[in-house]
Formats: sequence, structure tokens, C-alpha cells
Amino acid sequence: MSMIEIENLSVHYPAKGQLVRAVEGVSLRVGEKDSFGLVGESGSGKSTILRAICGLAPVSAGTIRIGGEPVPTPRGRAFSRRVQMVFQDPYASLHPRHTLDRTLSEPLAIHGIGGSDARVVRALEDVGLPAAFRFRYPHQLSGGQRQRVAIARALMLEPEILLLDEPTSALDASVQAETLNLLNRLRAERGLTFLMVSHDLAVIDHMCDRVLVMQHGRAVEELTREALAGAQMKTDYARTLFEASADRMLGS
Amino acid sequence: MTLLSVKNLRVTFDTEAGKVEAVRGVSFSLGRERLGIVGESGSGKTMTGRSVLRLIRPPGRIEAEEMRFDGIDLMAASERQMRALRGQRIAMVMQDPKYSLNPVMKIGAQLTEGLRLRDGMSAKAARLKAIEALEAVQIRGPERVMEAYPHELSGGMGQRVMIAMMLIPNPDLLIADEPTSALDVTVQAEVLSILDGLVRDRGMGLIFISHDLRLVGRFCDRVLVMYKGRVVEELEAKNLMNATHPYTQGLLNCLPRIGGNRSPLPGLDRAAEWAE
Repeated sequence: MSMIEIENLSVHYPAKGQLVRAVEGVSLRVGEKDSFGLVGESGSGKSTILRAICGLAPVSAGTIRIGGEPVPTPRGRAFSRRVQMVFQDPYASLHPRHTLDRTLSEPLAIHGIGGSDARVVRALEDVGLPAAFRFRYPHQLSGGQRQRVAIARALMLEPEILLLDEPTSALDASVQAETLNLLNRLRAERGLTFLMVSHDLAVIDHMCDRVLVMQHGRAVEELTREALAGAQMKTDYARTLFEASADRMLGS
Repeated sequence: MTLLSVKNLRVTFDTEAGKVEAVRGVSFSLGRERLGIVGESGSGKTMTGRSVLRLIRPPGRIEAEEMRFDGIDLMAASERQMRALRGQRIAMVMQDPKYSLNPVMKIGAQLTEGLRLRDGMSAKAARLKAIEALEAVQIRGPERVMEAYPHELSGGMGQRVMIAMMLIPNPDLLIADEPTSALDVTVQAEVLSILDGLVRDRGMGLIFISHDLRLVGRFCDRVLVMYKGRVVEELEAKNLMNATHPYTQGLLNCLPRIGGNRSPLPGLDRAAEWAE
């Protein structure tokens, strides 16, 4: 069974009197406990797909199904217990005036889940942060630590699906490695399904089994991990992206 | 020929909690070549770049045995002399176009401001020169971009505008501080090839600051690897794969590769003795 099914999704919205076609007829399927990547340059619509799933961008046409069920509008509480999102910029996605304790316990309060004390401590532990960080503010943490908090926050409701919007592109190379390792560990431990967006093909390749290359709001080509490693892409754009990946030049 | 020589550079911040040394005894020299400075956040790479322009605000202090640019002693130069150097002969491209361009000024006005005030050019001549500079960084439709505000440009365009702005006075030395880390890979490659062409055609010296060791290795002639304010290794970029220092090796290995084996990426172990 597919965990996430998207069929012919289009996202159009008016901006400055013009219709912006951010996503145009994109379809994809992500199986249970799979990890699927979306890759493309800025403005290719890859983040918009994640936002549309969460109800943060308008769905103009097409359907989104989670676990076989079409998503309701508004998304509602049951949806947020199954699907959570981690945003790109850990400097912007945490409330600057809330302590980590408050950030992490808020989803529990909204959903009426008790025992938040123990859960917050455990959540910090799970992402490799000391319990002493609990009453700190985001500005007292480094970028990598903040992204760990953002991941912990997304996992508070024990969702099945994590939508990851460029989770490491704001981080240093060495911190990126730690964060990717953390995400892979959590996926293995909890059987999570990942839908991950990145502009870095090497990161997607490391994390995902299948990848959809996007350009100008359209799907260009879907590749398996083997096809990507073997450079068996059929379209020119996917090849351009592959060749621009810094790591290839030096590795080969 | 040596364009810039730096000996035993130190940058110290006096804070309430005591002295913090951001840069501790960095020495290097630069000809008309491309020098990469690589390190993690907080390694002092940006501070090293800014020190060359003496752009460190109090409570920060710069000390050096020698800092000489084309025969001029940068440590002894007056503020007035430094102002004449900045932009004109040593230019700096900042990391993020979102924060480094004036958000309420049109691109054209920002590009021509210096030409009009400093060089006393007429509005028309300055405009022509600005359009030329935009063309040099391969911006299509420079007339349209001249009339745009920074928020109307994409990240890649904004970064190119900043490079164009820095290149108008034809500097001898360009310091680029993470000029591509806010950009997509495809755009990154374009911006790098633009920089590369400019360095080659104009014979500039370039200091390229980045946290991405592989990118630097591909693009520069020589690489300094910094850790906690010190240079731990200096090597020719083509020998990067034979780096001997464990920190350099760590930086190289922590990046995922296409077709890699998916095992957990090696983290960096940051041994305290490297900082000694």
C-alpha cells in the first residue's frame, strides 16, 4: 500500500495579478517506510508539493491521499498526528521567545496528550541533545542543534510520515553529516516514511531509494537509486543536475 | 609576485567573559591566484577575510606581525587610506544577497552609487558601465534588472549582482565569503565559472572562503584548512585527496557521495590538540 499518493497535483495561485503555476500535474507514490526524494533548483516547485500536502499551499487540481484516504480540508488533528514537516531554516522555524520545553510540549497540549514532562526529556534524548537544554531558547543553540530541536518537535506526535524540506541546506558540511545520520537512525528505529526535498543530489542519493527530478513545476524524470549511481538518466536536465553535483568532479 | 602577505594574524575579542581569540596566528601569502580558506562555522575563516580589509569592529582587535598588500602596510594605514583601498583595490563579496543588498534601493541605483559619488561620473556613463558589469556576470536583460529591487531577484541573480558591483572598480584582490552557499548546485556552477573567468581575464587574486572542501578543491589553486582560528593544513588543491591532517580528511569524508554505500557518514572528531 502506498503511504503517500499524489496524482496530477497542480498548485496555482495569483501573485501580482499573474497566475503562478508553481506545480503542474505532478504524480508520485511513496510506499510505507520508504524514503522518496524530490530534487530540483529553486522555483522548481519541490517545496510547494510538501506545502500542498500540509495544506499550506492551495491544491488547484489533482488529489493527495495519505494511507489511501484523500486528505481533508482543513487538514485537522488526525492529519497532523500522521504527517509532520521539518523546515529548511532552523533559524526561522523555531519560536525565538519560546524555550525548547515550550516548543516541544505545545503539540502535546494541542492534542491533549499527557505526561509531557517525560516526553520532552525523552524527545531531547532521542535527537542527541542533553536534557539540560530543555529550558534554553533557540538563540542559545547552534544551527545544527536547532535543526535537531525542529526534528524532535516534528516527532512529538509520533507521526508515520516526515516531510523534510531541505533539512540540512542551512548547515555546515560536518553538521549536515550528523543530521543526516540522525534522520536515518530515527527512520530505522521508528519505521518512518520520508518525503525529502533537496537541491543536493548527493544528499538525496544518500537518503532516498527513489528520486523525482523537477524543473519549472513539472516532473522531469523519476530515478531509482541504482539508475542515479549508474548515471542512467534519460533527460538532459537530470544529467545537468547530476554533473553539477560537486562531489562527482572530485570523486571520479 | 606576492600581492598580499599576512604574517601571524590574530583577531581578539574582549568580552565580559574574557578574551576570545577568533584567529590565532594565521600566516599566508597570495599572488594572482585562487586561494581557498576552508573550515567549519567558527573556525575564523570569515574573520581572516575581513581582517584583510580591517573590517573588524570593536571590541574586536586585529594584530599581525605583517599585513602587506601590494607594498602598502595595512596595519599602519590610516582609516582614510583604508577607505581608498576598500572596494577600489580590495573588494569583498558577501555570503547572502538577501542581507547584503539595500532592500529599498533599485539595483541600478546601488550599482551606480559608487561610480557617481566616488568617480564623479555622469548618470548616463555610470548607467552604461553598470549595464556592462551586469553583462559581464551573464545577466540576461540587464536593463530590466537595473530597474528591479533586490527582493524581485532570485538568489543566483542577487549573488551575480553583488559580484558585478564588486567588479566595477576592477579590484586587484577579491575576497569572496561563501559566495555560493546560498545557491542551488546548478547556479553554483554558473557563478563559479563566472568568478573563474573574471579571475583569469583580469588577473585578480582571489580569496575564496567556504565550508565546502570539495567545492574549494575543485575551484582553487591552493587551500588553507582552518580549525579554531588556526591553519591546520595548507596544500595544493590538486593534492587534496592526499591530505594528511585528520581534520581535512574528516571534512572531505563527511559529505555524502552519489553511489556511496549509505553507511552512516563519518562525523568529525574534533581533537583539542589540533587547536594548539
